[in-house]
Amino acid sequence: MSMRFGRVIHFVGLILVLAFTLFPFFWMVTSSLKDQSDLLASPPVWLFTPTLDHYREIFEDPKIISSVMHSLIIATSTTLLAIVLGAPAAYALARFEFRGKSDLWFWFISNRMISPIVLALPVYLLAQTLGLLDTHLVLILIYLTFNLPIVVWICTDQFRSIPSELEQAARLDGASQFLIFWRIYLPLGVPGIAVSAIFSFIFSWNELLYALVLTRRAVQTAPVAATSFMSGYELPWGKIMATGTVIVLPVTIFALLVSRHMVRGLTMGATK
Amino acid sequence: MAFLKIDDVVKRYGDHLVIDRVSLSAEKGEFVVFVGPSGCGKSTLLRMIAGLEEVTDGNISIDGHLVTHVEPAARQVAMVFQSYALYPHMSVKENMAFGLVMAKTPKPEIEKRVANAARILQIEQLLDRKPRQLSGGQRQRVAIGRAIVRDPKLFLFDEPLSNLDAELRSQMRVEIARLHRDLGVTMVYVTHDQIEAMTLADRIVVLRAGKVEQIGTPTDLYERPANTFVAGFIGSPKMNFLEATVTDGTDHTLTLSHPAFVGGAATIPTHAAPRVSRGGKVRAGLRPEHMALGGGQGGTALSLAGEFAENLGGASQVYAQTPDGDTLTILAPGRHVIDKGVPLTVAIDPARVYLFDDAGRAI
Ligand SMILES: Nc1ncnc2c1ncn2[C@@H]1O[C@H](COP(=O)(O)OP(=O)(O)O)[C@@H](O)[C@H]1O
Ligand SMILES: [Mg+2]
Repeated sequence: MSMRFGRVIHFVGLILVLAFTLFPFFWMVTSSLKDQSDLLASPPVWLFTPTLDHYREIFEDPKIISSVMHSLIIATSTTLLAIVLGAPAAYALARFEFRGKSDLWFWFISNRMISPIVLALPVYLLAQTLGLLDTHLVLILIYLTFNLPIVVWICTDQFRSIPSELEQAARLDGASQFLIFWRIYLPLGVPGIAVSAIFSFIFSWNELLYALVLTRRAVQTAPVAATSFMSGYELPWGKIMATGTVIVLPVTIFALLVSRHMVRGLTMGATK
Repeated sequence: MAFLKIDDVVKRYGDHLVIDRVSLSAEKGEFVVFVGPSGCGKSTLLRMIAGLEEVTDGNISIDGHLVTHVEPAARQVAMVFQSYALYPHMSVKENMAFGLVMAKTPKPEIEKRVANAARILQIEQLLDRKPRQLSGGQRQRVAIGRAIVRDPKLFLFDEPLSNLDAELRSQMRVEIARLHRDLGVTMVYVTHDQIEAMTLADRIVVLRAGKVEQIGTPTDLYERPANTFVAGFIGSPKMNFLEATVTDGTDHTLTLSHPAFVGGAATIPTHAAPRVSRGGKVRAGLRPEHMALGGGQGGTALSLAGEFAENLGGASQVYAQTPDGDTLTILAPGRHVIDKGVPLTVAIDPARVYLFDDAGRAI
């Protein structure tokens, strides 16, 4: 009896959370399919004849397509670089003893304590001096700065959970330090790497502040493009919602693909 | 020259002295067992031989080469870990082949060696499975197989059977003994289980708190333990000890007094007289299997009060109390029911009494 009651509570809770998180999503997607009069109807209409007009409009606008491409280039490069640089660093932090290790560790975490806006002006001046404004590279570099700590953090934790006897067995088997990382830690660290890749990609995909500050016309990312519609005297809601839907799609697909690797228990069977 | 030589080896973790000047050697083909209570440093010593742990002081050589500071892989040793340490993302075959792949062995040679090891260990049908799809005993075999394929100079085992249930453990014990016989290779084996040590070893090294207590064949340790620690550790059930007083001595006997002896005293054949003084204390060691219920006429015997008996099936473990309150264990054939307090006469063979001095050293 109480078991069933508990299950009901559980279920209702789940529904509430889902409704809360998915409603804005639902609203965005449905709004992108409404024509202007349905959009502005008050109270809102739930049943309407869907239209693809807004999508036609944005796909005819080269700005949207190119901004999605820019975002793809930046988010993919950032994520790849963050993993390539972060995973070996995490391995070192997880398995080696060296001087200043805890300081380094704290430095990685403390990077995330600074509010991004605090650094916006210094970063802008730096980028200007280096002649990097309005390039892919400047956003890749700044996003890498924000993502590396997360990658290192998650991967260190993941690598620490791998029994150190595996490393010792590999050493006896004649594997070099690099091969131990490559053949043992990397494959067994896939869940952590997947999680940090998702974080890294989502962050880079959605970031707005630095994208606004550091780029102009040549490199306009998707979030910047979406907000640029709001600058005029009218608010083209349908177009904004359609753009939003288009923007959310790649990151959702990426997350779904990668999340298959976020399984637990990869090291099962190693010991005992 | 000894095949494996450990010379005055010391290991410290910070201030914590874990191995205290240990020296020992093993001949080629010998099966050496390190035995001792948990935490005495057996694994540490083994891992230093493997090269996984740095040596604080002293030297280790294998097959005539000084390897104290040589990389693990270059020592040509293979180790079976207590936890097996199989690579979970690789198949059984890949697990066994990993060391050979690292050594850039040609593919056909790898195939041949893996197939051969799989045949020896009867795991041919498991080669494509992942470790998580194996039972504990099967994982154990794979771990041993991984060691075999590399054809090492030295096999190291760290409590390889401790995770198995009793039946599988004795089965694997027999297989490891067979493997040693068939391969004829030098093995060093760590265990805290004295039965494993006694049944497997050519030579046993008894360790306590980072020090060697005694090195010898199983028979040596059983018949001539160097001290009460070794005497108590080797043999099951454990040896009984009586705190006795020396009352008299000749060239080849000692007379001891203890309230448990029938008549208050017993004469033991020994040449220890010059090493003890009249009125001094000695510890008399009695193995449970050397004691018999119902002492015969005129023989040396103990007069005890029964406590209870444990039925082992074909034999019984009988517990009885001395007049001064110590409990002794007697291994008796057959089944016995012992009522509490019932008087028991227990025959002992004076020639099989072990004698130790006050400090526990054999005399
Ligand atoms: N990495 C380490 N750091 C500090 N102390 C250790 C370390 N490894 C082992 N020890 C200590 O060394 C002693 C011996 O350990 P070990 O060789 O594992 O014992 P055994 O294998 O005989 O049970 C123990 O007291 C243990 O706490
Ligand atoms: Mg141990």
